[in-house]
Amino acid sequence: MQGVHYYDLRQVTGQVTHIDIDNGVVESAGTSFFNKAVIRVLNKTGWGVIQIDNYTPCHGKKFDILLRSACRLARVTQGNVILGDVPHGILTIPSLKEDPRSVDIEEKSALLSGIEQAAVYPSVVNRRANYIEKIENVHFTDSSENEYSYEMSRSGFNVLAVASRNGNVQMGYEREHSIRGFNLRHQQALGKKAAKIAVALLDAGAAKGGKMRAVLDPELAGVFAHEAVGHASEGDLVQEGNSVLKGKTGQKIGNENLTIIDDPGIHEFGFDPVDAEGVAVLRTEIIKKGIINAYLHNRETLSSVGNGVAGHARAMPGEPPLVRMSNTFIEAGDATEHEIFEECRNGIFLRGSRGGQVDPGRGIFQFNAEYGYLVENGECTKMVKDVSLSGEILATLHGIALCGNKRSMSPGYCGKGGQSVPVSDGAPHILLCDAVVGGSGVD
Amino acid sequence: MAWIDQLIHEAQKAVDEVEVFYVEGISISAELKQKKVNLATTSKDCGLGIRTVHNGKIGSSSTNNPDQWRVCLNAAIASGKLATPQTWEGLPAPIPLSRTPLSFDASLEVKPAVVMDLIEKMLTGAEEHPAEVAAGSASLSSATVTLANSKGIRYTDQHTGVSLALEAIHNQSTGYEFDHSSFMNKVDPSAVGERATFFAMESDNGTDIVSGEYDILLSPLAYGELLGNVFIPALSGRNVHAGRSRLGQSLGESVIDSQITMYDDPLIKKANGSVRWDAEGTPARRVDFIRDGILETFAYDLKTAYRFGKTSTGNAVRGGFGGLPSIGHHNFVVDGKRRKIADERVVYVHNVVGAHTANPMSGEFSVELSNAFWMEGGEYDTPIRSAMLSGNVFDMHQRISGLSKESRALGSLILPSIKINKQRIIGK
Repeated sequence: MQGVHYYDLRQVTGQVTHIDIDNGVVESAGTSFFNKAVIRVLNKTGWGVIQIDNYTPCHGKKFDILLRSACRLARVTQGNVILGDVPHGILTIPSLKEDPRSVDIEEKSALLSGIEQAAVYPSVVNRRANYIEKIENVHFTDSSENEYSYEMSRSGFNVLAVASRNGNVQMGYEREHSIRGFNLRHQQALGKKAAKIAVALLDAGAAKGGKMRAVLDPELAGVFAHEAVGHASEGDLVQEGNSVLKGKTGQKIGNENLTIIDDPGIHEFGFDPVDAEGVAVLRTEIIKKGIINAYLHNRETLSSVGNGVAGHARAMPGEPPLVRMSNTFIEAGDATEHEIFEECRNGIFLRGSRGGQVDPGRGIFQFNAEYGYLVENGECTKMVKDVSLSGEILATLHGIALCGNKRSMSPGYCGKGGQSVPVSDGAPHILLCDAVVGGSGVD
Repeated sequence: MAWIDQLIHEAQKAVDEVEVFYVEGISISAELKQKKVNLATTSKDCGLGIRTVHNGKIGSSSTNNPDQWRVCLNAAIASGKLATPQTWEGLPAPIPLSRTPLSFDASLEVKPAVVMDLIEKMLTGAEEHPAEVAAGSASLSSATVTLANSKGIRYTDQHTGVSLALEAIHNQSTGYEFDHSSFMNKVDPSAVGERATFFAMESDNGTDIVSGEYDILLSPLAYGELLGNVFIPALSGRNVHAGRSRLGQSLGESVIDSQITMYDDPLIKKANGSVRWDAEGTPARRVDFIRDGILETFAYDLKTAYRFGKTSTGNAVRGGFGGLPSIGHHNFVVDGKRRKIADERVVYVHNVVGAHTANPMSGEFSVELSNAFWMEGGEYDTPIRSAMLSGNVFDMHQRISGLSKESRALGSLILPSIKINKQRIIGK
């Protein structure tokens, strides 16, 4: 078709099953259905995109009508978009240990209830457990005759315990999400853990804010990699001039121990067998041995910015793809946990994550731990609550003094441009010097 | 829509009550990469949400294929079988309500030329200051919402929307501004552009601040982040009865400064969240949560109200067709005695980073400042480079020393700037 340089179609159909149990009451449980498609047409100057709910696949003249209307829309664009050459291909999807669809919803509900009941504990005034299972059937075609179809299953649960005493209200929150199949069995321990943390926090003190040495557990250090480094390495932000990492390739940003990776191909919660533009997924070493090495790209930002690989385009069903992280992590180093706490000596140990946010252009990030402990003479002592960490990306990376020798990953969701996609973050324990810790405690 | 009547008729063979929520809409948007439009999108959305009630058991399902309503209905009925039964006194019956929509602009055309005009005006506004435009967008939407139930309700409402956003950068300093309204003549694209480049410029070359307690002025944007993430959820009846609200035991007590009033008013003309009926068909009305600092009521939907022997306050909302109705608000207003609050020297905070990580139970927060300045006599003075604002959202409300004369609409929040004395800032 005249003026059409490229087009693609991505249709996702599927179903979502959820169960919500609140203090022993099944608030809601059931299944919903969706069918969403997005057609993108590229002319010389930019993209025309049509999002369609309830799309019926069509060919020939009918499909041409859709292409023509997307093409008309693209006429308002004013840029100069060139797509990078990319490898195509699809990875095998890991098999499910147990297909969640083979378990009936009554059993799921009973298992979830078991996790919720495990959080029954003195001083716990509320328990809430949610199960979510999403089955997505993805079909992708493009004008270069690439075509992929695959099915992804993601399922998991969250459990929240709220403890209360004399107006002091605290919470413990645990979650487990997986691409490897049904995971509600034998998980009561997490319900109990959420309750114990909530209750322990009733007696925790407020952290005193200020600059100090901080040990981050693998979950929080993973969020750090995601917020502080991952977002700023997204090629679209670099292209817009809205990243503090722009133009810094080859610069030393941290010590030799520090390597930060994004890899959509590993079998963690952010796994994609192929990206949302039909591009083969590849591992990107964002920071390699302390040096800024590569950006995350889609086809457009690869050709515009360079330095890195495409395969990082991701999208919610029916939405146009954006450059996104998938499984982001700090590589394990060689320090033992004991060495990390010894080296910290006096400071704070931060555990778990309540999420974070970044302003990549300014190079400022913020994130919050679920709880922490004071570190005194290399030992964890008093528990502290509501402790956060913020700082400047570049300065903070220089402050990573030690990386532990054991890495683990945590599942979650990441928001950008109004789209939320599954991700995982991970790291070993890390020691951060000159961390800016926030808390409401004072001397 | 005959199929909705057919659906209700079919459902009544199996369940006591049924509710149908159906939305159809179109939208168009254009996105900027720096100063050039890179992508234009149109969308055609439709969605059907069904809720069934049988012997006090509530079931639900949704789909965006209305032709498949039978599958969806069966899934809703099956879902209801799992739910724990509760006291249920019925869906609302229809009452005569005005059919004139409150948040609909008949003159708003969902067309590419209109979007491009908005983009051009934003870019012209952005020229005012020599910061670079990084990204931006303009979008227009129009939707028709239908609520029907087995008690005879057949309500239809129309909504329109125009949304603008621009991000700017100058050296390592960023500025962001946005605007949203149901009405075309209530957004100012040129001001969105101007403010974005202004904040990027003005925040450059910031200085450090020493840790300590300061008198601060939170812009409506910064205040809205803390209020929306922590305070408003504590007013939800569901959170109260579940023990998840710090305000749960404080009805009739003074919970915030006595000069402040907080209410939800769904009937404000031309406001973004205005509706005549809530997501369950309960007539929408003004709800005074806090009057002169005294906590008077919590927000309820039907389900929570029936369960705890209360009355729905018309606060049921839906995030979309897919979710169940839940407790929310329509136009949440913070009001009280207004005065000039920027005369004395204060730390002005335009926005904060990371408010969603605050502890919604206890109210504790520590967030990073964004576009913060020393301000005196209402004028922006030296920018503050980087610091954290830390405290407790509930306690902070006890120390509000003034509300600005002007308010700003931010989605469904209508907020003034607020001045707070002695708030902790952690410097670098």
